[in-house]
Order: sequence, then C-alpha cells, then structure tokens
Amino acid sequence: MSRAELDAPGLYHRAVVWLLFLILLLPLAGTLLYSVATSWSASILPSGLTFKWYLQLWGDPRFLQAFGQSLVVCVGALVLSVLVILPLLFVVHYHFPRLDALMNILILLPFAVPPVVSSVGLLNLYGSGPLAMVGTPWILIGCYFTVALPFMYRAITNNLQAINLRDLMDAAQLLGASTFQATVLVVLPNLRKGLMIALLLSFSFLFGEFVFANLLVGTRYETLQVYLNNMRNSSGHFNSALVISYFLFVLLLTWGANRLNKDKD
Amino acid sequence: MTTPTRGRTLALLLLVPFALFFFVFQIAPLAWVAIHSVQTDAGWSLDNFSKAFGSRFYRQAIQFSLEISFWSSLFGIVIAVIGASSLRRVDSRLRDFVSAFANMTSNFSGVPLAFAFIILLGFNGAITMMLKQSGLIDDFNLYSKTGLIITYTYFQIPLGVLLLYPAFDALREDWRESAALLGANGWAYWRHIGLPVLTPALLGTFVILLANALGAYATVYALTTGNFNVLPIRIAAMVAGDISLDPNLASALAMILVGLMTLVTLVHQWLLRRSYHVAR
Amino acid sequence: MSFVSVERLDKRYGTTEVFSDISFTVERGEFITLLGPSGCGKSTLLRAIAGLTPINAGTILLDGQNLAPLGPQKRDIGMVFQSYALFPNMNVEQNVAFGLRMQKVKGAESTRRVAEVLALVELGEFAGRYPHQLSGGQCQRVALARSLVTRPRLLLLDEPLSALDARIRKHLREQIRQIQRELGLTTIFVTHDQEEALTMSDRIFLMNKGRIVQSGDAQSLYTAPVDAFAAGFIGNYNLLDAAQASALLQRPIHTRVAIRPEAIELGIDGTLDGEIRSHSLLGNVIRYRVQAHGVQLLVDVLNRTAADLLPDGQRVSLTIGPDALCEVA
Repeated sequence: MSRAELDAPGLYHRAVVWLLFLILLLPLAGTLLYSVATSWSASILPSGLTFKWYLQLWGDPRFLQAFGQSLVVCVGALVLSVLVILPLLFVVHYHFPRLDALMNILILLPFAVPPVVSSVGLLNLYGSGPLAMVGTPWILIGCYFTVALPFMYRAITNNLQAINLRDLMDAAQLLGASTFQATVLVVLPNLRKGLMIALLLSFSFLFGEFVFANLLVGTRYETLQVYLNNMRNSSGHFNSALVISYFLFVLLLTWGANRLNKDKD
Repeated sequence: MTTPTRGRTLALLLLVPFALFFFVFQIAPLAWVAIHSVQTDAGWSLDNFSKAFGSRFYRQAIQFSLEISFWSSLFGIVIAVIGASSLRRVDSRLRDFVSAFANMTSNFSGVPLAFAFIILLGFNGAITMMLKQSGLIDDFNLYSKTGLIITYTYFQIPLGVLLLYPAFDALREDWRESAALLGANGWAYWRHIGLPVLTPALLGTFVILLANALGAYATVYALTTGNFNVLPIRIAAMVAGDISLDPNLASALAMILVGLMTLVTLVHQWLLRRSYHVAR
Repeated sequence: MSFVSVERLDKRYGTTEVFSDISFTVERGEFITLLGPSGCGKSTLLRAIAGLTPINAGTILLDGQNLAPLGPQKRDIGMVFQSYALFPNMNVEQNVAFGLRMQKVKGAESTRRVAEVLALVELGEFAGRYPHQLSGGQCQRVALARSLVTRPRLLLLDEPLSALDARIRKHLREQIRQIQRELGLTTIFVTHDQEEALTMSDRIFLMNKGRIVQSGDAQSLYTAPVDAFAAGFIGNYNLLDAAQASALLQRPIHTRVAIRPEAIELGIDGTLDGEIRSHSLLGNVIRYRVQAHGVQLLVDVLNRTAADLLPDGQRVSLTIGPDALCEVA
C-alpha cells in the first residue's frame, strides 16, 4: 500500500473508481439477484434463492435452438469476414496502398448508417424476387459481415502496419518464397494473435445484435436476442437467468480476448 | 513500387468478393433508401420530406430522438470524464480490473439491458421501491423520456470511458506540477489547463456518443415494446409493423436520420482535423 | 542562520532507498548545484524540496519556515523542468502570467511584470507566440520567466539544459547565472554535466547512490576528489591503485591515487621515463596516452603550436609534482 493511496487525492480517486464500478455493476447485480430468486415482487429484496430458473432455461429446447442459431449466424459471418477481408487487406496493403484511404471512408458507413436505415432497403430489395433472403439466416450473415467489417479491418490493419508487411514479404521473396508461400508461411502466423482478438471482440458484438435479427428475420430464424425479446412476457426470473447466461458467455469471450492481448505484449 | 502485372490482376480479383458483399449488404440498401426517399406514387418529389416535417407526430419523433441523445450523451460524458480521470490515477490492479469491466459492460446494451433496467427501475423495480419507501420520489416511470435518458446514459458511460481514457495521455504530469508550484490547486489546474487541452477529445467523444444514441433501436424497442416515439422506432414501424406500410415515407425518415448521423460524423472529422498542436 | 536548511532527509520507494541522510544548507543568494550520475537521487531530492514528492523522514526549512505541512502551491518556490512544461493552450504571455493570476494579480500590474521578466530573458517580442511555435531554447527561457515572475524565495532547476543542443546550452548557462546574480535569487540547480556544475555554481554537492559524497566550491571539488567515484566523475583523472602508484613514483604509496592529466608535465627533462602510445586531438587540448613504468596515463597538453603535437612512439619524460597528486579513498 503506497503512501499515495492514504492521502486525500488518492482516496478521492479510489472512491470515484469504485463508484463508477458500482454504477456499471448495478443493473447486472440486480439481474443476477433476480435470476436466483424464488420470487421478488414489490419488495426490496427477493424472498428466497434458487437455481431452478437456470435449470429451466438450459433445459428449454427453444432456448437451445436460439442459442445454436445465434452461434451459426455469428460464426458464419465471421468465417465469411475472414475469407473476404484477409485477401482484401493483403491486396490493399501490398499492392494498392492508396486504397487504404478509401477503405477508411468506406468502413465509416456501417457507423453512419444505422441498422434501422439499412433494414428499410434490405427488406424491400431482398424481400422477394431473385435475391429473396429475408427470413433466412443468409441475409443475417451478410449483414453481420458489414457490422464486423470496421472492427476487423482496423484491427488487422494496425497489426499489418506493426509487422511491416512489405519488408516481411520482400525478405521472404528474396529468400526464394513465392508470394503465396510468403503469405501463408510468414505473414499469416504473425497475424494470428491480432486476428484472434478481432474475432473474439467482433463475435461478442455480433452475438448481442438485435436490430437486423428482429427486423429481417424475426421468429423465422430465431436468434438469442430475438428469443429474449419474445420471452418478455414470461417470468422475469426466467428472463434474468437468460440475460445472465448470455452475459456470462460474452464475458468469457472478452476475457479470452483480454488474455490474448496481454500475451501479445 | 510496382508489382508484376500478373500479380496485380490476381490481386484485383481478390478484391471482388469484398466489393460484392459490401455492395449487396451495405451500398445497395442505402441507395434504395436514398432513391425512394424522394419518390412517391406520383414520381420524383420531396413530398415525403414535407410530410415528415409537416406532421407533428414525426417532428416529435425527431425532437425526442435529439433530446434523448443529447442528454444521455451529456450525462454519459460528464460521468466518463470524471471516471476516466480518476481511473488513471489509481493503482494498476484496480485500474485494470475496472477497465476490463467497463469493456465488458459496453456489450451490455439492447434487449438484456432493457430487461435489467425493468427489474431495477420498472414500476415494481427494486430501486423504485427503495426510492418510494424512503420518500424521495412519488413514482417513477421508466418508460418515459426521463427513464430512457437514464437507460441510455448507462450504456454511454463505458463507451465514453473507453474513448476518453487514452485521451488523458495528452495531459503531461509536469504541467500539473508546474501549475501547482505556480499556485494552482486541483480545480484551477483543470479549469485553466486540463479541460482546455482535453477539449478536442471531449467534443469528439461527445459526438460519437450522440451518433451512438441516435441510431439506437434495440434498447428503446425492448424497453417500450416499440411504443415510444423516436426516429428509429418510427422508421422500423413503417416497414415491419402491421399498421401501415409506406416504404417511401420510411425512406425519407431514414434519410433524415442518416442526415443527422452524417452531420454528427462530419463534425467529428472536422474536430479531429482541428486537433490541437498540443499533440506534439 | 542559513536560508535553506535540509536535515537528514530520507526517501524510499517501498524497500528501495532513493536518498538517505541528506543534510546541507544554502545561504541566501547562493547558487548551488546537485551533481551526480543518473539515478543518484538528485532530481527526487529537488522535487522533495518543491513538495512534489513526499519524504519519509527529515526536515526542510526555508527562511526558518518548516515546509513539511505546505503543499507545492504554498511554498513560494519556483521551478524549471527539463521538459519545460509550458501550457500548450496558452501563449507565452499567458503562460508567464499564470502564476500572477493564481496570486490574483491582474490587469496593468500583471502586464507590466510579465513584460519586465520577458525582457530579462530577451523574449519581449514573442509574447503572442504559442509553445509549439518556439524552439527548445526559447521554451526554456519562457519557463524560466514564468518561474521568476512571482518573485519566489527559492528557484529550483531540474536539468533544464539537458534537452538542448550544445551551443544553446552554453548561451543559456550564462544567461541563467547572470539573471540569478542580478536578482540575488537563491538557486538549487540539478545536473549530471560536470562542466555546467563547475562553470555556474558557488558550491557543488556531488551525489552518488542517494548520498552526498563531497561538497565544496568548483576548484576544491575539481582538484581534490575524496574517493574513486568523485575522481571518476569529475575531470579525466588517472586513477591508480596503491601498487601502480608505487611503481610509477618509485616510492611506497599506500592508498589509491588520482592524478589530473593536465597537471602532468610532459617534456624531455623530467623525472619519469615514458613513451607515447597514442593521442587524441580535442581541439584546444591534445590528450596523450603515455606508458610509463608499466602504467598507462592520460596526459593533457595545450595545443599551442604544431610543435606540441608529438608522434606516437616518441620517448618522453614526465614530471608529476606533489600538487598534482591526490589521495583518494
């Protein structure tokens, strides 16, 4: 315990940080408590504790299906992202560096254009006709690809700049490797950590996505968030167990990303 | 430095999948919305926009959107500044722990957050109960503008903290020491040096928070079952609701929202460019 | 009674000792320097006097007043930092006026005093410029002006010239000393550069590993180092152990010995025989490496004429007078 913490400014800062932590914790704590309560209505504390809501949740086939479908869509979107974005990044950074400026503007689009707005176009364009995708997981995978794009692009770009792509490729090629060999044997292994982190963070973000899921697909391919919303009228305890389960899952992912990040340094 | 032409052709080919997906899922819908916002049954016109701005109902949606975004961003950033500033000055264990926690709670938005707030601050919520019993308030309506502002502020805080924390790197410790030796106490330092230097970062973050709140749909939808009058809800109701389907009007409203967001993004880019010579 | 009195100061970070048992005094108007290598604790000691770093034990008295209960705002001490620490959102005039503003001095008087001190550092026409528009040397002069305008009782300078290039450094050195004399301001200066310390100070405190190893004026510090560290840090002493010294001087010597290179006479009729191994031209001084009686010595000779430059291999004879020798611990 350093002397700094014992005097007034140190104390103030610790108090502020703890307060911040408590503010952020409160809704979570409330939900957690609700999820293990036997009943809790119109009183400050719950009446009793139980795990039955979790048991009920994890035994519900509809929940498991929704969870699984969320996984399918998110993983699918990320696989698509990797397959599309990695070559893109490689080409931009190695062959056409000036495209990077354009790309940086393009990746602003998913931010400037909220999902609600895109949904208007998406529903009308792909609701029927040759590219009818509305109501299927395919449209979700495509949309989630655009959602993950800014994160993935920026994370891997930073990574590529840090490892100095050109120099690595040139060195490998001078030693006799073809472009393909150089990419696979030299560049990709160096991207592994950055890629993993980007994937984990994008995944947790996608897993919590609701707008596209609800507007474009809804109950026809129920993802976890849509399921959560549809269950709003069932027991609040059940919903809380659902929310906490979802959050624990996301926690695991971000914790994993954090660990990898620390490892990297 | 040029690369052999065969390589370049292959490289260009590799760009195609990206261009394809990006076009289909991002550009095309946006283009559709832009085009249809200026179309009615009678062809090209700005009728949709005049309908949107002419109707009290839609004007209210725009107004509520702006109000909720503004206030939640303001409260969010004030809390984030105070929090981030103290976060930098505590020991590393506490700092890492709370930073990681803020990181994780930034994912806690949308439907799950709405439910959590209903549990705590709904009509029968635990905190509502506590406040009522202690006599501090008579009643609290989470499903009102105020309730929404509070809920939005909650998810703005982690984002604000994460964005502002690195900005404090610009503040050098020896400025604070210098100011102290010249007679400035903590508050004077912030007023004359700390806040002015941080202002670009503060404004930039505020602008991002604004955009974040303007486009938010999930939280308000889940909290009010789509019954609160803000722009995103209005837009969605017109394409996926069961009452009226008017994609052109929806497009116009959508373009208004995009207009607001773009304005906000442009201001942010301008602020970044105006970023202080402080950065040296 | 001394103007500044530091008694038995101790500072530790956890179990690591930064400085310990530091005691010294400074008279009113004196310019003293804390000199030492990086990590010897001199900067931390300065910051402790300023009130920026707490101490574990000891007292600091300024003009009879115990500084312990006072924060840096109330100590009436001015300080110049190595990194200038100019406030980037204010121009030169506003930076300099800041201390006055904190003292609630405004308007005409503030403007007058700012102009006065800017003239002192020869930056009158730069009042409207911002820090990023100034060179390093100009920034440092603004920092100096800012710390002087409030007329502090004590001025502290923490390696203010280390970040500047050699030419500016020399110029600023003189300027700082001149201003200090004009104002009669008690000053404590910290540096690792012995030339700075020797040219600027009334007295020097040589520090090593958290302790004051030697104190005195420039001449005594330079000509009479107390131990091997001091001899190694100041000047280019030849350090010989007892055996080497005995062999060289051909009489029994029982301690380590330090010999200044410029104090060894190089000629053809001296008492010790030696041979020039190599030489370096340092501009106004030629530094020879001479081997004599099994010991290699540095010998400095003024570069007066071409005849002074002797070739390698030349046999020479050296004279080492009793004053040139210094017994060290």
